[in-house]
Amino acid sequence: MSASRGIRRAARAIALLAALACAPISGAHQGEPLAEPDFIPPAPGTYTLHRIMAAPEGRVLGIDGRPQPLSRYMRDQITLLGFIYTTCTDPEGCPLAYRVFDALKEAIAASPSLHGKVRFVTLSFDPARDSPDVMRQYAGSRAVEKDGLRWYFLTTRSARELMPLVEGFGQDVRITFDRSGGRPRRELSHVLKVFLIDRVGDVREIYTSTFLYPRLVLNDIETLLMEEDRKRSRAPVKK
Amino acid sequence: MNYKSVVLAIGALTVACIGYTAAVRADETCNSPYISKLIKGQEDYVYVWALGVEGLGDGSDKLVTVDVNPKSKRYGKVVHSVSTGARAEAHHMGFTDDRRQIWAGGLSDNRIWVFDIATDPARPKLVRTIGDLGDKSGYLGPHTYYALPGRMLVQALSNAKDKGGVTGMALYNNKGKFIASYAMPTEGSGDGYGYDLAVNPKKNVLLTSSFTGYANYMRPLGELIKDGEAMKKFGNTMVLWDLKAIKPTKVLAVPGAPLEIRWSLNPKDNWAITAAALTSKLWLVKQDAKGEWIAKEVGTIGDPSKIPLPVDISITRNGKGLWVNTFMDGKTRYFDLSNPEAPKQTYEKATGTQVNMISQSWDGKRVYITSSLLANWDKGGADNEQFLRGFGWDGKELAQKFEVDFTKEKLGRAHHMKLGSNALRSAAAGK
Repeated sequence: MSASRGIRRAARAIALLAALACAPISGAHQGEPLAEPDFIPPAPGTYTLHRIMAAPEGRVLGIDGRPQPLSRYMRDQITLLGFIYTTCTDPEGCPLAYRVFDALKEAIAASPSLHGKVRFVTLSFDPARDSPDVMRQYAGSRAVEKDGLRWYFLTTRSARELMPLVEGFGQDVRITFDRSGGRPRRELSHVLKVFLIDRVGDVREIYTSTFLYPRLVLNDIETLLMEEDRKRSRAPVKK
Repeated sequence: MNYKSVVLAIGALTVACIGYTAAVRADETCNSPYISKLIKGQEDYVYVWALGVEGLGDGSDKLVTVDVNPKSKRYGKVVHSVSTGARAEAHHMGFTDDRRQIWAGGLSDNRIWVFDIATDPARPKLVRTIGDLGDKSGYLGPHTYYALPGRMLVQALSNAKDKGGVTGMALYNNKGKFIASYAMPTEGSGDGYGYDLAVNPKKNVLLTSSFTGYANYMRPLGELIKDGEAMKKFGNTMVLWDLKAIKPTKVLAVPGAPLEIRWSLNPKDNWAITAAALTSKLWLVKQDAKGEWIAKEVGTIGDPSKIPLPVDISITRNGKGLWVNTFMDGKTRYFDLSNPEAPKQTYEKATGTQVNMISQSWDGKRVYITSSLLANWDKGGADNEQFLRGFGWDGKELAQKFEVDFTKEKLGRAHHMKLGSNALRSAAAGK
């Protein structure tokens, strides 16, 4: 890496951290302030994010109701993808992912060098309830591109179309009924997983609630961008 | 679609939607914190990974299912076994993070056998054999299978080149594709040896321990202990790693082959405990007042001069108690860990002529013990008992409830155990 590029990367990392420190948690998914890791994470670029697996392919619906291949939302930019269902109330589940995405959104907005390089995808695993209209309401203003970041809110037409995606990502889910409030309440029990996907559609990191810190995710995004820089610098110059 | 088909379809859908417990931070006391399904109630099965014995049954390593639900008519009985068709010194196994599969391996081999336990928890099915560990990493004798999200980190004991103790870890995805390998550190005070691994994500720490290589663990024990040079070739270290980066950060001096690692499952704790086999000592790994990770000898197991050989340990879910099995004297001991700096033995019982692995249920009321250490280290003659024994534990006394005689059943040598449940059945599994 050239000295000037290294300085730019360092400056970007510092700007991101400053933005994270100041980022408010907005919207209808507020909760306790997001926890900071109880350790000093490794610096971006000092570790390797291996290719864990290719992200699975399948058909999804955007908030406009149009069917598209999921790969359309997982190429050419770094993608952060999380499964949710809109009625989820487990504080260690979907709301936590939402808050982390929100914090990252603010941090990326404050870092122009990341604009146009990262996208978010929120994919419902409750097609029975989460129609494109419901997802549109859930997204609110987040679905509008702002500060160089697109956040897509997707669902599927049916469980049949969803299952290959759930299976392919290794995202378990099951239906349970919470009877503590008198009337049975249908819930989708799941382990929170968020997937970091590179520009060619390979999963490079999988976060669970124990490791889902905005600071770590930003470091990983930085690490992938540095990897791209290194590849570009090694590529032969076209004459 | 007729009525029967409708019922079957609804049944399949129902099955697809059950068999899952919510996110947890720990499994039945000794598995990866990334394993998502916890058996908090009564387990239905104990899976036993058994070493094949020439001339006994088919002579192959096999995964044996024993029914351990007291309400079952088959309680204490073998209900299924699936053979690998190979005899490869079957040793340990581990669940994938979604608990749909068990990965199991042998110490004399490089192969890893993958069993689907979700489609029918009573009848595991061999679905994949991973055969590229040696080619991809150069390591030999896969030992620990530790679930990370979507991946399995495999700790080996040896290497294919000189069959010594210098080894490393290999990372696979859940579909069995090799991702990367990581050498145990040999610089500075690192001895390069490996045995177990366990993580503490809260602190971004991966901790490994160390044993010995193929050249030693495949030799008859009586012959080995007379070989002074060979006896020097045992691990004397534990290594702290940056979990996120999987890079070693510190080598800790822990003499005498520190084996199984157990992090306290109490959310407020950040310490791990291990037992050193050759010195018969308990060691605590913790942060000091300055935040530095240290290893500290905190207790003695039996009479070290008699080499009781502590093998497996099992920590209670609250981090307040520790079971220790010692192979040579066949004893099971319980230590009060209320003060992990000063474990205190409060109970002991001879549970076999030779005992090795010990596992407990989440509530600690049921304890399971097996007999085999290594094919060439197990005792001979009448002392070579091979069993799975189930005990009840009321806080005062271990009371044996059942026994499966693995020799009589022609199953082999009983080694590692994992718990299973019908509630973890998934119709989607294995697809």
